[in-house]
Amino acid sequence: MAELLVLDGIRKSYNVGTPVETEILHGIDLVMKAGEFVALMGPSGCGKSTLLNIIGLLDRPTSGRLFIDGKDTTSLDEAALTRLRGHSIGFVFQYHHLISAFTARENVVMPMLVDRGRPDIAMEERADELLDQVGLVKWRDTRALNMSGGQQQRIAVARALAMNPLLVLADEPTGNLDTASAQGVFELMRRFNIERDTTFLIVTHNHNLAAQCDRVIELVDGRLTGDRRNPAINGVAQSR
Amino acid sequence: MRRWLTFAWIAALRFLGEGRMQTGFILGGIAIGVGVIVFMSALLASVQANFTNRVLTSQPQIQLNPPDEVARPLRQLDGVVEAAIVQRPTQRILSLDQWQTILSSMRARSDIVVATPSVSGSALAVRGDASRSIGILGIEPDDYFRIVRLPDYIIAGEPSPGTDDILVGIDLANDLGATVGDKLNVTTGTGGSRILTIRGIFDLGNRGANERNAYVQLRTAQSLLNLIGGVTEIDLTVDDVYAAETIAQDIGAVLPVKAESWIVTNAQFFTAIWAQTLSSLLIRVFVGLSVAFGIAAVLIVSVLQRSKDIGILRAMGSSRGKILRIFLIQGGVLGFLGSLLGSLLGGIALFAWHNLARQANGTELFPLVIEPSLFVFSALLATVTGVVAGMVPALRAARLDPVEAIRG
Repeated sequence: MAELLVLDGIRKSYNVGTPVETEILHGIDLVMKAGEFVALMGPSGCGKSTLLNIIGLLDRPTSGRLFIDGKDTTSLDEAALTRLRGHSIGFVFQYHHLISAFTARENVVMPMLVDRGRPDIAMEERADELLDQVGLVKWRDTRALNMSGGQQQRIAVARALAMNPLLVLADEPTGNLDTASAQGVFELMRRFNIERDTTFLIVTHNHNLAAQCDRVIELVDGRLTGDRRNPAINGVAQSR
Repeated sequence: MRRWLTFAWIAALRFLGEGRMQTGFILGGIAIGVGVIVFMSALLASVQANFTNRVLTSQPQIQLNPPDEVARPLRQLDGVVEAAIVQRPTQRILSLDQWQTILSSMRARSDIVVATPSVSGSALAVRGDASRSIGILGIEPDDYFRIVRLPDYIIAGEPSPGTDDILVGIDLANDLGATVGDKLNVTTGTGGSRILTIRGIFDLGNRGANERNAYVQLRTAQSLLNLIGGVTEIDLTVDDVYAAETIAQDIGAVLPVKAESWIVTNAQFFTAIWAQTLSSLLIRVFVGLSVAFGIAAVLIVSVLQRSKDIGILRAMGSSRGKILRIFLIQGGVLGFLGSLLGSLLGGIALFAWHNLARQANGTELFPLVIEPSLFVFSALLATVTGVVAGMVPALRAARLDPVEAIRG
């Protein structure tokens, strides 16, 4: 399997050059292969979200290099990063963050619309297909605001996949859901991972869900302290 | 989603549509602002058009008079001034030298519409025991009435004086207790005297003019003022009334006449117009500014409310430029829609005012002049104002750090 994501000595500091300079990430080295389904765990404030933002090209590391699909992102300017982000990375956030002014289908269309500028039938068909896969095609014309948390999060997953990204980053996607909904959303992501070979990096506090991932990475105080594979799940993944 | 709209337009319109309350209130605010501007502009344009029209139809735009008589100091051959004190000579009523030649050269000019000779002087109008001093003006009615629309102001009789007829103002007629058909004895300082019949009575809307002005045939005035064959002035109208002064200077430079345009003789009128225009411009500018601030304030709040949406859109790969556009479009759309409502509001107010504000006898104060370009211009200006007002919020939105925005 090709290396999709390579982090080479990623450091992140805030308030650089001031007396209160704080380093959040102390040199992270990480390699993720295409098609992996990875859980990122760690206590609050350990730098998980910061790491996720850097991998998602929303934030830049203070030092170190980040390769996505073999491309060094360190030297890219903002416009190029924005483009790469739009094409290669999907996001699922804890508080789903659907845009309330739009319907379910329009929310899923949005990444494609941002990329291509004008809506067309192909986008809507793609959105319907994804909504069908997350089981919400009936709700496609409902405003995002009028749905339950679990439903909104499933739409967010569909949206994250709209551009067929290489990598989906999920920041505690189930943190705000009841157990049943959480399991549903998790299984949905797992299914997309298996069916489409999309790589997932999921931040979670839920050990139960982490145990169902291929690989679990632990981050404590800005350092990677654990990196284990779950053999059973790996077996499932390998058997497909 | 409308297929023909681009991403920025779709997002902008949805955001406006979702914040219905905010959008409604700010649209109301813009509409009132634009309404005031439209109402004021149209009213002022009407007042000024009416005002200008009155001024221009009650006097010639250029008057040619004989040059002032000046006395020259008497000198000896060697240049020594003999009489050092020079008094300004009295200005006799003189005929324009070579007036027929001047008249025909005036009529030959392409920028002059009407040229007509006239004779003016003062006289005493006597009827019974009453006498009033008047200014008589000898005219060639057909041409003169194309300059001064006296027939429009006739309230009794006819505006066509014969050789022994006179047209007088309503106040003079009242003072002398005369009506159409009555006779007046008119005597001038140069000894001329004639019995003239009142043929028509006019009301120029100005007491001074109504008391003093009297119109007779050119020949009648010539004989009364002892100026047989002469005229004291040539009255002109020009095709571009605002070029009158340039034309007057041109004529004055070429011909031995004193040429005065209405722009010089009505300096106060222009001061009044200027003061009006300036004050209304100020009001309009400040109303426009308050509209702009309103739009900016609403959009700033909208940027704050939507910072998460903006963060998400940035995470999806929207460039800063696209985010900027979303808010600029919102500003422009608010300005444009507001100006449509405002034009409607202003139009209704104009007609309501026009129907309510009437003269005592129920006729309109003055005709309304409503130019369609006013509405087009207002809409354009409001749209531009909206876009400009959207600039600060839009920049703020575009500069949002997506990480911060999503974290909230």
